[in-house]
Amino acid sequence: MTEHAATVAAALHVPAHTVREGCPGELLLEVEARDFPVLADHVSHDLQGRLLSLFASDDRAHTGQFRLHQVWSLPQLHTFLLLTAPVDPAAPAVPSIAATHPAANWFEREVMDLYGVIPEGHPNPTRVALHDDWPDNAWALRKDFPGEQPVPRATGDHHPFRPVTGEGVFQVPVGPVHAGIIEPGHFRFGVAGEPILYLQLRLFYVHKGIEKRFERLPWRHGVYLAESISGDTAVGHALAYAHAIERLGHIEVPPRAQAIRVVLLELERIYNHTSDIGAIATDVAFTVAASRAQALRERLVRTHDLVFGTRLLRGTISVGGVRRDLLPSGRELLQTRLRAFETEFEDLFGLLVDAGTFTDRVDGPGTLTRQAAQDLGIVGIAARASGIDADLRRDHPHDAFAGLQFTVPVEDGGDVRARLMIRAREIEQSLAILNQVLRVLPDTPWAATLPDALPARASALGWVEAWRGPCTHWVATDDHGALTRVKVTDPSSLNWPALVHVMPGNIIPDFPVINKSFNLSYSGNDR
Amino acid sequence: MLGILTKSLRTGTLTEAGPFGGQASFGFPVMDFTRCVACDACTRACPTGAIRAEAVTPVLAHVLTHVSLSYAACIQCRACVTACPEQAISVSPDIEVAAYSRDQLARTASFDVNPVTGRGTYRQVELAPGLSLADAAAQLKARILGRLGRSLHVRQVDAGSCNGCELEIAATANPYYDLERFGIHFVASPRHADALLVTGPVTRNMEVALRKTYEATPEPRVVVAVGACGCSGGLFGEGTYAAIGGVDRVLPVDVYIPGCPPRPQAILNGLLVAMGVREARVNR
Repeated sequence: MTEHAATVAAALHVPAHTVREGCPGELLLEVEARDFPVLADHVSHDLQGRLLSLFASDDRAHTGQFRLHQVWSLPQLHTFLLLTAPVDPAAPAVPSIAATHPAANWFEREVMDLYGVIPEGHPNPTRVALHDDWPDNAWALRKDFPGEQPVPRATGDHHPFRPVTGEGVFQVPVGPVHAGIIEPGHFRFGVAGEPILYLQLRLFYVHKGIEKRFERLPWRHGVYLAESISGDTAVGHALAYAHAIERLGHIEVPPRAQAIRVVLLELERIYNHTSDIGAIATDVAFTVAASRAQALRERLVRTHDLVFGTRLLRGTISVGGVRRDLLPSGRELLQTRLRAFETEFEDLFGLLVDAGTFTDRVDGPGTLTRQAAQDLGIVGIAARASGIDADLRRDHPHDAFAGLQFTVPVEDGGDVRARLMIRAREIEQSLAILNQVLRVLPDTPWAATLPDALPARASALGWVEAWRGPCTHWVATDDHGALTRVKVTDPSSLNWPALVHVMPGNIIPDFPVINKSFNLSYSGNDR
Repeated sequence: MLGILTKSLRTGTLTEAGPFGGQASFGFPVMDFTRCVACDACTRACPTGAIRAEAVTPVLAHVLTHVSLSYAACIQCRACVTACPEQAISVSPDIEVAAYSRDQLARTASFDVNPVTGRGTYRQVELAPGLSLADAAAQLKARILGRLGRSLHVRQVDAGSCNGCELEIAATANPYYDLERFGIHFVASPRHADALLVTGPVTRNMEVALRKTYEATPEPRVVVAVGACGCSGGLFGEGTYAAIGGVDRVLPVDVYIPGCPPRPQAILNGLLVAMGVREARVNR
């Protein structure tokens, strides 16, 4: 690791001793905020770093300052790099990196909305997290903000939609309450006939104040809240939270628990991918395939229920391990059911790709080029469908993944078909992973003994490659070892801009299927 | 095409004749108040405040304490079951739980607590305020009778959910549950709807949209709150800067379906309760 610290120091042109080792797999570097743009360029060009999160914390009680943090994945070094800089509360501003690193775009605006730290030079410094009726000068994540009471509604238009004008050009507003059973968000299409000229998004309708809520919870309860960040990623987020706490508290997770966690995470991937494949079929009106996929997905969640007592895998992860052991009977049941699933899934997938009426609809729409995905900092399945070979399970192995054989499927098309193919190929890999893990589980306890308290004034990063992409949780404790900041990043936050980017040139009737092929979480994004 | 037909014929009917009556390994916790000593092990373990204890009248010799368990806020995490040192909390396999008010989902008992030992002695189960389940059922029926009894058009509104409830609501339409056979349809607009199926702790940012959706729904209309968050704000609390809380903080709610998330059978059951076809039950 010291070797990695030296590599990083050299690439960033900073003294070697300034790059500190944090928890395993984490390098920390204290910088000045004014250096962010230069450093970000070095990290991305010279270290092939990928920005996974950017956030602030309120450290005024101790240092009298806010802090800004950037989390970069350095896949080649198998380590994360956390850059952090103090921000003066008297003049809360930092130079923006969004113009050159678009992945920072929404993050910086969220920091502005919730901490009042201005991203100077941001190409579009308007509200992202706050709606128009939020009063000025009220920053919800600052420590002196009373989060447990309602805030009066203000009037204003802080985020006007960009007008789209011209002969025969009009706007189509959609949402926040949609026609189907999906989450709320507002889409505004600028269209000329059917072709879309421009798509604007307004999200954060389901902002529940999760990060603020964490600060009031005992750390042992945090895992329940993490499960409710995005209901379809209960395991992914619970695990990312647990990882962060375990690393912060030096809690050793026994090998059996690590193996069971892999089982849970891959089961979550399989059921979501299956359900998405069905939903893509629904959105092109291929009802036979859609209803078969739904039935297949129902059989999967019923299997979860039989083995773990929960359909959507809630209540399975705990800090230090898992909530329940996987007994031999459950293991055998899983193996039998998964074998049946494999055959049925192959059948279903054959039905889809052999139907010209289906492939006609999925070949081409919503193409995200490799370059665009790279520039926008897209992650997870959406990135891998656009030729970007990144997966935290391989690049920063967590749980039992280091000892498992699997490949990371990558597709080049970047369209709906590519995102469909990625899902199918990942299911194949997940089944292979489950095969290996379920063969024999390590004979150790399935949960660690937990300390009474966490170390005071410590911080750590937890990460997981969940089914949609990387989930990261950065956790910090106060003087008493209680949670003082939990930053949650769902892959959706990084990927929503991809949808905006690909829509122009497509037609409105293809929007549902393109949107579904990304299947981003509103709740995960809005928190 | 031939392949599709053969496969469909071979698959046959997946729809379950009776989707109800199934038992889950974990429905809701059930408290045996006669074994409870009013210690604070479960209230500390509960992440949502579904179990509460409060001293009502401190008297010289003893303290009268109320212990209550409400399914409205329960996320079925089982933490209380393992935490109870007296094994007073067990597990009910019943999942088809619904009610007409928040109060009907709660059960409260009073205890005399010895101030020296801190140990409570069970006194009695307190009468729940408001209407009984049967009276509330009759009232709802009287309001909608003849108008909504045989079919129900439902507009689902996510007013702040984590999307877990949406996954299970969507599952009610899959071939196993097939809610359409009960005359229930999900419709695309509130203007076509008889019922709103609302999830989430209503967020500040969804309140206006939820109210407008309600106003766009023609009378007679029923509102069904789904999930721990929809019933009570759940993990996200009520009255925070971002979450207003349970749906009844914003709209009059006719039926509550607790759970995190409620299973498809529970949602189906709740919808049939809203139609007046079934009566709500809270077993414990």
